[in-house]
Amino acid sequence: MRRLFIMPPQLFRIFLLAVGIVAAYLIARYFLTPPSFGEYGGWYRGAALAELATRDRVYAGKKACEECHGDEYAKLTKHEHKSLACESCHGPGEAHGIDPRKDNIDRSSYAACIRCHEANPSRPKWHKQIVSKNHYTGSKCTECHLPHSPSEVP
Amino acid sequence: MTNEVANAVTNIVEVVMPHFEGYAYPNEATQQPLWSVLIVLYPYITGLVAGAFIMASLVRVFNVKALEPVYRLSLLTAFAFLLCAPLPLLFHLGHPERCYEVMMTPHLTSPMAIFGFVYAWYLMAVLLLELWFDYRRDFVVWSETTPGFQGLLYRLFTVGVMDESDEAAQLDHKYGHILSIVGIPSAFLLHGYVGFIFGSVKANPWWGNVLMPIIFIMSAMVSGIALCVFNYMVLTWIRRKKVDMRCLDVMGMYLFYALVLDAAIEALDWIHRIYSAEEGFQVMQYMAREKLFYTLSLGQVTCGTLIPLILLGLLQLIRRRVPELQRRRMYFASAMLILIGVLAMRWNVVIGGQLFSKSLRGIMGYKMEFAGLEGWLMGGVLLCLPFVILTVMVKLFLSERLPTDGHVPHRD
Repeated sequence: MRRLFIMPPQLFRIFLLAVGIVAAYLIARYFLTPPSFGEYGGWYRGAALAELATRDRVYAGKKACEECHGDEYAKLTKHEHKSLACESCHGPGEAHGIDPRKDNIDRSSYAACIRCHEANPSRPKWHKQIVSKNHYTGSKCTECHLPHSPSEVP
Repeated sequence: MTNEVANAVTNIVEVVMPHFEGYAYPNEATQQPLWSVLIVLYPYITGLVAGAFIMASLVRVFNVKALEPVYRLSLLTAFAFLLCAPLPLLFHLGHPERCYEVMMTPHLTSPMAIFGFVYAWYLMAVLLLELWFDYRRDFVVWSETTPGFQGLLYRLFTVGVMDESDEAAQLDHKYGHILSIVGIPSAFLLHGYVGFIFGSVKANPWWGNVLMPIIFIMSAMVSGIALCVFNYMVLTWIRRKKVDMRCLDVMGMYLFYALVLDAAIEALDWIHRIYSAEEGFQVMQYMAREKLFYTLSLGQVTCGTLIPLILLGLLQLIRRRVPELQRRRMYFASAMLILIGVLAMRWNVVIGGQLFSKSLRGIMGYKMEFAGLEGWLMGGVLLCLPFVILTVMVKLFLSERLPTDGHVPHRD
């Protein structure tokens, strides 16, 4: 068989195969590249943003809590913890906001307090800190402290 | 409740709480290091590929006749492991339904993305082609003599080139030789690149080190040769054949030299770190003494380096006085210890580098789950998979029933 280029048969076949593989790859790339890829200039699917946006909300935000828990909200915003969100200690509350039941919101516990107040040298001096093991052997911080208005005495 | 049950079923460790000592930044307060045991396996498997290929190149490029029985076995080993090399990365990403997308969207803007090109070059342009040129004439012969599906496979592998003449075989040999020469720098590139991915992370004093690519290449050569020793001895044992002691002695010799180089470079790295004692040295010292004691001091240094160095070094000095059976046992033990030691080394790099805080004053913890997405079970399966693939390849391409002129084990 006469060929345009004189090439040993094994090289010629491999060359053809390579061309075939590259062509197959290009075709696959044409069909399989996600349509929104690079939409916003980066190396990611633009659709990923919309997908993330369709996820269910889990946090409701402080304002939603105020609707029913006005008293606690008023106390909280007046005292030292005013910069904290309700959900920092009570966990995500969107489900509770839609269907207010006692079992779908975290009542919060000792763990929420010591997350910030356990003694750690890297924390600023003005921040109240305790060594929980020595401070109190029970489990309820709320027996002595009011989390919504920490400077008041119960 | 369902979640708790699912956790209890899949993981022996039900809930892993974040665990810290000292000062850690808030964004480091994840339950586990982001790069898990799968990322340990990725450089390990890639290193085995590069090492096994260099082992094969000793025959092809440097004409080491004694190693001919393991030439094809080493190439097939490299191939089987290379097929599995990107799997840990893909598994780590999750979303198996989107796994092909990473291949459809290549780019040059991240070190990890460029690995795709390095990998594709090594697999498609070097290893597959070298294997094909080495096997081409055999495929023609086997396709004519083997009936059934297997024969059809061989026929397919010939890609329609049925030329059995000596001239054609000589051409095959020439092309294979060229590919081997191209393959050596490619194998160095493949694994040096893996080292570079870690070595380029400036923020991490455990990784950010210009010696990293070289350390990775050296340990890859050691582990690859050890894997070839292991595979050759296991294959011989399964086939109830006699080990070619000349071949094994030469493999042992190269293993020893590679190990000496590897140990020397890693020791240099540590001497440099200890003497310069830069920022972050204290936390690394603590890691080596406490957190990584078992994998670094016992696994990597004692089992993976010192004991094999002594065993293989002794064999270099008094080989003739050691009976064959003892010698075989010593080689096998050394290979096994090196394979474990290099795995420990990859663990120390990947997990060790993430266990200390960027504050350089805090330590985190890592507890491997059992059956989770990135646990013991998955790690074990990924380590066994290349051996399963290799077994199929040995059945297809190294069977004793197939006539060949190639370099294969147990040919009298």
